[in-house]
Amino acid sequence: MEILGADIVRAFALLGAGLAMGLGAIGPGIGEGFAAGKACEAIGRSPQEAGLLTRTMLVGQAVSESTGIYSLVVALLLLFVV
Amino acid sequence: MTGIEWIQAASVLGAGLSVGFAAIGAAIGEGYTAGKANETLSFRPNLVGEILKTMLVGQAVAETAGIFGLVIAMLLLFSPMEGKSVLTAWAYMGAGLSMGLSAIGCGIGAGLPAGNACEGIGRQPKVSGQLNTLMLIGAGVAQSTAIYGFLISLLLLYKQLPMEMAIVPAFSMLGAGLCMGFGGIGPGIGEGAAAGNAVSAVARNPLTLGLMTRSMLVGQAVSESTGIYALVVALLLLLNI
Repeated sequence: MEILGADIVRAFALLGAGLAMGLGAIGPGIGEGFAAGKACEAIGRSPQEAGLLTRTMLVGQAVSESTGIYSLVVALLLLFVV
Repeated sequence: MTGIEWIQAASVLGAGLSVGFAAIGAAIGEGYTAGKANETLSFRPNLVGEILKTMLVGQAVAETAGIFGLVIAMLLLFSPMEGKSVLTAWAYMGAGLSMGLSAIGCGIGAGLPAGNACEGIGRQPKVSGQLNTLMLIGAGVAQSTAIYGFLISLLLLYKQLPMEMAIVPAFSMLGAGLCMGFGGIGPGIGEGAAAGNAVSAVARNPLTLGLMTRSMLVGQAVSESTGIYALVVALLLLLNI
């Protein structure tokens, strides 16, 4: 079996895409769940503020999501550009 | 070594990785549930039947991720290897990693609402039915990434592969397994944390059950998003071959 240099680059780019998206999903998943959990706790304490608390939760989760989206972008770049 | 020996080596390694990693999460989740149940029983010994029932149901849900890992390990160990491409070895390793790693998060995640439900029943025995329902919804959503991992493992196990060995498809399949495996950890734990706190909040204030179910599902849906990105990237890697 002959392995060309270009094949090695392509193969490692695909492995890198998998690792980028896989590891990149750990942090946002845990962080967003933590935000959702605390929001549920807060809504239980003061249900009349549910709208405000849900909004705040979604803003916080959106910021936490950003690194997941960076990972997705890098994974797609590695898949389709490299 | 011949091709078939490589495939055998990869299948036993993949089986070990699958059931070994999957056992981590399930055991942590079930231990958390049992600990909370014991803690609650120490000051509410008269509720023993109710709390034990909730504990066992919650532990059974947390166990499913471990059982998925066991199923994939058995499929890897007893799959036919005669006349298969050497690329199958890489697919088997990817399948084991995908199922094993993704089950870690889901086992831990399913244990958190179950433990908090045991604690909540000690606090509000009258709403044990509602607490059980909310616990099962939350733990069920937390299992979703283990199901994605199971799906990617089955796709890797039964994929038709070209006969000649090439490095690009080999790394692509390993990457798909690692992507879905690691990608399943975070959403599983996060969704479990959301469900756990929702169950505690209902136990404190049972009137908010409807509102809490809605808030919990919204939060879990956002937390699920990175798991879905991982599934998409893994499917793209698989379709590339």
